[in-house]
Amino acid sequence: MLRATRAHIRKDFTVEFRSRFAVSVAAAFAAITTLSVSLAAGGAPLAPLVHAILYWIIVFFSAMSGLAHIFTREEEEGTSLLLRLVAPPEAVFTAKLVFNCAMLFALAVIITPLYLFFLNVGLPGPGFLALAASGTFAIAASSTVLAAIVARAGGKAALFTVISFPVLLPVLWICISTTSTILLGADADVAGSALFLLAFSGALVAVSYMLFEHIWSEE
Amino acid sequence: MRALRPHHLVHLLMPLAIVLAFAWAPAADILGETSRIIYFHVPVAWISVLAFAVAGVCAVLYLRGAHDPLREARFHNSMLIGSYAALLATVSGSMWARLMWGSYWNWDPRETSIVALLLGCVAYLALRAALETNPSRGRISAAYLVVAMTAMPFFVFVVPRIYPSLHPDPLINPDLKIRLDGEMRAALLCSAVAFTLLYLYIFSIMQRISRITITLEERAHEE
Repeated sequence: MLRATRAHIRKDFTVEFRSRFAVSVAAAFAAITTLSVSLAAGGAPLAPLVHAILYWIIVFFSAMSGLAHIFTREEEEGTSLLLRLVAPPEAVFTAKLVFNCAMLFALAVIITPLYLFFLNVGLPGPGFLALAASGTFAIAASSTVLAAIVARAGGKAALFTVISFPVLLPVLWICISTTSTILLGADADVAGSALFLLAFSGALVAVSYMLFEHIWSEE
Repeated sequence: MRALRPHHLVHLLMPLAIVLAFAWAPAADILGETSRIIYFHVPVAWISVLAFAVAGVCAVLYLRGAHDPLREARFHNSMLIGSYAALLATVSGSMWARLMWGSYWNWDPRETSIVALLLGCVAYLALRAALETNPSRGRISAAYLVVAMTAMPFFVFVVPRIYPSLHPDPLINPDLKIRLDGEMRAALLCSAVAFTLLYLYIFSIMQRISRITITLEERAHEE
């Protein structure tokens, strides 16, 4: 099982980085949205709450533009049928989960400095970085199972956003309110928010493992 | 003649709840006559939560047991009733908010929670539409429901407790106690029971319709 999981992780990273389609499209999407927000703001100072909303909206929609690809690629290339036959569903799900978490972390590493640079936000402290890390983990971990659902529903990209938004709203809400408090310079409860995000991710990942076989296997 | 079931009591209890709400229970202090909306707004909000919870449980049972269409119809029908109840709770709450808080929408945590429920319904229905011809539609939509149900408690219970609410304290408080006058409490409980029976009544009718539709589809398939 462990060996199968490791093999799938290696396979997913190799295949994705061979074409770099999802990663480059999501990175380009993140850069374009950050630049267009900066262009539209035109250097005007924005309130901390507006910064928090824009930052997390960019992270959310960048995630939506790239995270479903790991499953839809298997359906489009016709490799999902063989995977269903030869690989345990848990190993497939773990590999996709690890890939999506790594990909969204990479995207956050691109988005955060770009946002801070183009929108003239001062350098944030470790509290913000901890929140950004737990927020991106929560988004990636919770939406991986939804990506599998979207792939089974024909891989419609718009559907991924529609079905993910209600599920991820608590994450976005907590992230936005805590980021806004951090940017205001007030004493934010980062540890409490991170704990909430981790509890949320834990619950969703646990349920995802229980459900994945039902979503993945054919009737 | 069909046997009488407990939910048929709705024919008695619903008129009684309406009479109690408008003619027997006193108007609340300060809030005045507008407070009578509590006897409708709270029960529909309750049945929206109940319907989603039933849909979630039915979805889990469907995934664990046999995947037959009638069991699939159970969680789908409950979701449909829950969607309408959530819509009614939003509209009735919004009307009351206009009178009490001065605007139709205030992004109170509970308003946000009901919007999340409504968005969940829209997402579920969009997913069902996308899976129209997929033979695994029941399993995939049930799985989505279970994922959404896992996320919902974080909204309905956690977030309103973190942020201050505009909602009145007598019904929504950390002690989970109803702080209302005896007559108002009795009218509210009667209304809540009547609406719960109404939910069961509509649910049983929808299940009967589903059973007929499934039988007709099976017959057409055999022919």
